[in-house]
Amino acid sequence: MSRSRPLRLVHGEAPLSLSPPDGESNGADERSLIIHAAKGGDVRAFATLVDIYYARCLRFALHMLFDRFDAEEAVQDTFVRVYRAFPKYREDASFEAWLFRILANRCRTAGARTRRRTDVVHYGEVPERPARVHHDLALAWREEIELALAALPIEQREAFLMHHVEDLSYDDMSRATGQGVSALKMRVKRACDALRAALTESDDD
Amino acid sequence: MIDERDEVIERVRSVLREAPIVDASAKARLLVAVAAERERTAVTPRFWSRPGVRAAAVSGLVAAALVVGWLEWPKLRSDGPGAGATVASPVGLDGARAPASLARITTDLAALRSVQLVFRDPAAHRVSVVGDFTEWDAHRAPMTRDSASGLWSVTVALRPGRHVYAFLVDDTIWVQDPRAMEAPDVDFGRPGSVLLVGQP
Repeated sequence: MSRSRPLRLVHGEAPLSLSPPDGESNGADERSLIIHAAKGGDVRAFATLVDIYYARCLRFALHMLFDRFDAEEAVQDTFVRVYRAFPKYREDASFEAWLFRILANRCRTAGARTRRRTDVVHYGEVPERPARVHHDLALAWREEIELALAALPIEQREAFLMHHVEDLSYDDMSRATGQGVSALKMRVKRACDALRAALTESDDD
Repeated sequence: MIDERDEVIERVRSVLREAPIVDASAKARLLVAVAAERERTAVTPRFWSRPGVRAAAVSGLVAAALVVGWLEWPKLRSDGPGAGATVASPVGLDGARAPASLARITTDLAALRSVQLVFRDPAAHRVSVVGDFTEWDAHRAPMTRDSASGLWSVTVALRPGRHVYAFLVDDTIWVQDPRAMEAPDVDFGRPGSVLLVGQP
């Protein structure tokens, strides 16, 4: 008996291609068709949307929550809510902005839950910066970045990730967060300033 | 030209933009959760979720059952269990058969048929059945392994009619039942099998 069928295959068919050879605009058109089909109830198209966006959503959630279980749960909740709310989605609006609005909300909710959970944990005296021996500079740099990112206020972290990591435009970020473009630009600038300060300081140590 | 400060942000971006490791079982759980949501919304008419409608319907059903039960009970009692038309008792009850008229009026639980599903995969650590009857929930019908034969099995209570199902191995691998017909309709891009349950 074969037990090797991947979940996304449909009776042996290949999943929908998202990388047409003749340019990015065709890719965008194809994506619009998939979104249209998913909105119309095509389950195969919805599964393809999950394939397209899962990794990006997980990356954003991991950087927001710093916990794999919480991040996976937030992403799962997001797609269930997208499925539920698809009939209300207007196709002339940006799908990514809509998706990230739901995802950011789920992350904020999960983050608040985690903070409540961790509020009762008392560590006692801990050194401001734990001593570590780094044999791998890349790993050390990654840890410094994660620490600096975690130290950002949540709204700055969210804005930085949306703009610099997920490549959302400020207009889409505005739709996703409900904040004005100027306020978002200020958040991204402050986040960049804080990251530069923290990481330059790290380099100096 | 990238100055020192921009270079820091570029380095941050390059680290944070790396694709995360995707756990296939988490993605599978997501699809199962969406399928469950689809099932839930498909079987629940919108008006059913309005406040008061469900409560009124349940109250009406209980009232009807009480009235009919009150009218029918003397006749049923005089006929005795099994004297009239009978149906299979629902799974989990003690095996006694219930009078069909009362069962049909109060609930359709008595129409459930007990069906055993069997699957062979000696290498699997965990197997469960997912299908329309579990609302595609991977936790509702976990199978148990017989150490002697290596067979996984579970007994489920199903309503008569057509059902679509599959086996979920180790939370990640979706397998059709090799002994059943393949379902021509697909569910979230995954192949399923057809199970026909006859009338009692």
